[in-house]
Amino acid sequence: MTRAMRRPIAAAIGALAVAATTAACGGGSGDDASEGDGTLNVWIMQGTNPDADDFFDEVSTAFEEETGATLDVEFVEWADAHDRFVTSIAGGTTPDVAETGTTWTPEFADAGALAPLDEQVEGAGVTDDLVEGLVEAGTYDGQLYGMPWYAGVRSLVYNTEMFEQAGVEPPTTWAELEDAAAALKEEFPDKIAVAVPGDAEFTVYPWVWGAGGEVATLEGDTWTSQLDSPESQEGIEFWTGLATEGGYSSAGATTWRETDVLDSFAAGDVGMAVMGSWTPGAIVDANPDMDGKFAAVPIPGKDGGMSPSVLGGSHLSMFETAEDKDLAFAFIEMMTTGEFAQKWGEQSGYFPGQVSLLDETLESTDPLVAPFAEQFVDGGASVPAAPTYGAVQAKATTSTMMQSILAGDADVATASAAAAEEMTTILNGSE
Amino acid sequence: MTQQLTAAPPRIGRARAAFVRPWLLLAPALLVLAVLLLWPLVRVFLFSLQDYGLREITTGEPNWTGVDNYAEILSTPELWTVVLPNTVGFAVLAVAGTVAFGTGVAVLLASLGTFWRTVTSSAIMAAWAMPAVTGTYVWVWIFDADRGVFNDVLMGLGLLDDPTNWFTDRWTFYAIVLLNVIHHGFPFVAVTVLAGLLGVPKEMLEAAEMDGAGSFRRFFSIIVPQLRQVFAVVIILSTIWDFKVFAQVYLMPGGAGSNRSVLNLGVWSYVESFGQNRYGFGSAIAVLLTLLLLVITAVYVRTVLAEEER
Repeated sequence: MTRAMRRPIAAAIGALAVAATTAACGGGSGDDASEGDGTLNVWIMQGTNPDADDFFDEVSTAFEEETGATLDVEFVEWADAHDRFVTSIAGGTTPDVAETGTTWTPEFADAGALAPLDEQVEGAGVTDDLVEGLVEAGTYDGQLYGMPWYAGVRSLVYNTEMFEQAGVEPPTTWAELEDAAAALKEEFPDKIAVAVPGDAEFTVYPWVWGAGGEVATLEGDTWTSQLDSPESQEGIEFWTGLATEGGYSSAGATTWRETDVLDSFAAGDVGMAVMGSWTPGAIVDANPDMDGKFAAVPIPGKDGGMSPSVLGGSHLSMFETAEDKDLAFAFIEMMTTGEFAQKWGEQSGYFPGQVSLLDETLESTDPLVAPFAEQFVDGGASVPAAPTYGAVQAKATTSTMMQSILAGDADVATASAAAAEEMTTILNGSE
Repeated sequence: MTQQLTAAPPRIGRARAAFVRPWLLLAPALLVLAVLLLWPLVRVFLFSLQDYGLREITTGEPNWTGVDNYAEILSTPELWTVVLPNTVGFAVLAVAGTVAFGTGVAVLLASLGTFWRTVTSSAIMAAWAMPAVTGTYVWVWIFDADRGVFNDVLMGLGLLDDPTNWFTDRWTFYAIVLLNVIHHGFPFVAVTVLAGLLGVPKEMLEAAEMDGAGSFRRFFSIIVPQLRQVFAVVIILSTIWDFKVFAQVYLMPGGAGSNRSVLNLGVWSYVESFGQNRYGFGSAIAVLLTLLLLVITAVYVRTVLAEEER
């Protein structure tokens, strides 16, 4: 009897031990970093460019011709990437160069894992030719750690068929947007006039900025979230009011992420939504019938003009473990400026981080390129470039605010005050 | 005399060998356990006494803060009002549901013929084999507010006027998680209990039937006591699993932290520690969770043992 009884205990203790140890050993197997044998190890995020393999074959050839070194590119999933960076930083097995999401760059720089690029960028003579929003996001403590590579921007995407049938024009002010939503709801009672997702922070900030508010401001060393300023609250009130007062959104949207918005828009169920410049391809992929049935406009300003929108994208960063820093920068320069930067932008649907390349894109007349490009250049903004901003995102501060407003659990004043307090605490790292 | 002298040393040697040999034989296994389990456990404990973040990882320098992490955890109001009630309440319901339903299925399986038993057990194996992530997405899809089957049926029947988002409310959210976890967890219970059921001596059941015991009486008075150890195993394991539920909550709409009223221990610790690179804080939570589960397990095993002795 007692022997039989001991087995479950042993099994239980074993299971407990496993539970506890998972905390200690994440991921593990790092890759061999710079071997110093003329190989450059690079991590690139998967899924940005559908033809990434061919693209990097070409880059490898060109890189080998120019420097004599071989290029070893590894593709990393966005979802795993942050954990893999952290594990590799811990194990000293970081690659020489890697694509880092714009909000990660200050975080890794703060950890001492990245090498500053200012001297080399100056040497390459491109300092003044880089997109400002991306430089701002890649700067930590006065030094540039992330070389602007590519980025996208969110604008207002709308279903042209639904708009025509409801007899409305794309909005240019907030009042027009509300009128358009009302008209769409009248014509299509079973569809969603405007999607107001609860779990998509980047669709909220344009309205905050558009009303003259700020997400957070830095004074000296101290961040203060401004989400509860009267201006910010006005913007949040307008955006969430479309759902809570107008009923132009849907109950499901309360917990939607941007991917859910995309699915519903692609299914033809949504009149308008804040969506990224990289989504048109995905919409048509998901539903070929949508081809040519949607267009974009910059996010309207309150009384005309444009509401700023987040430039979301990637830097190329050099890690401190890179043995040959000049070789590493040669690769960064090749990728982020000139021919390859432009090609990457064209293939992936993102905008390059070099201003002189953008000028050509701006001349485009494509209804799914021009409005985004306009927003990118004239209405781009950055989330607070604090190393702790990733922690704010992990805590889902803004989404929590949105969801509690949309679900009717809190009013804008209460929810935004709670969010601002939490964001300030986390940004200053004093939690 | 000489005989005694020569005889003595081998006896000591034999005694020592009898003492050393089992440990020698166990040594490889113990060594592996120590390296794979004990050392990480110790490390987790050491991390839990530090403010350990990305900077400490890169510099390799410790940053001791004593029991600050533990103090912070225990003084977080959210832990007591939301996280623990959700975790414990859910675990109790999920364990009860999984064991009850699994036992029911096991009884059903035991009464089936070979062919139907094979068919049914293959079917429940499919539920077991389904990865938690896939299963969760299926349940999310069923209860989706705009396109979900559940809302469609309710609205078709006229029970609901407008689509409802079941994921925003704490109770309906966890009702869905409960369905998901029971659905995923009952096959293990069913299979384990079935093995025990088949081992119950037929003679005892027949004798009870002769004495006039009905089927319920036979089940609760003969089968259940016989299966006490089997139940001990499934209950302890289910408790551990259901306490640590993560993916089934994290992947639900709003479950990743944006709906604070549905946070459980797994998601809360992930959001607070790994999401914010506060590995020391996360380690402290892991240590507390381990202790909590050890206590639950110990108490439960003791009660079972006490009953056994009575």
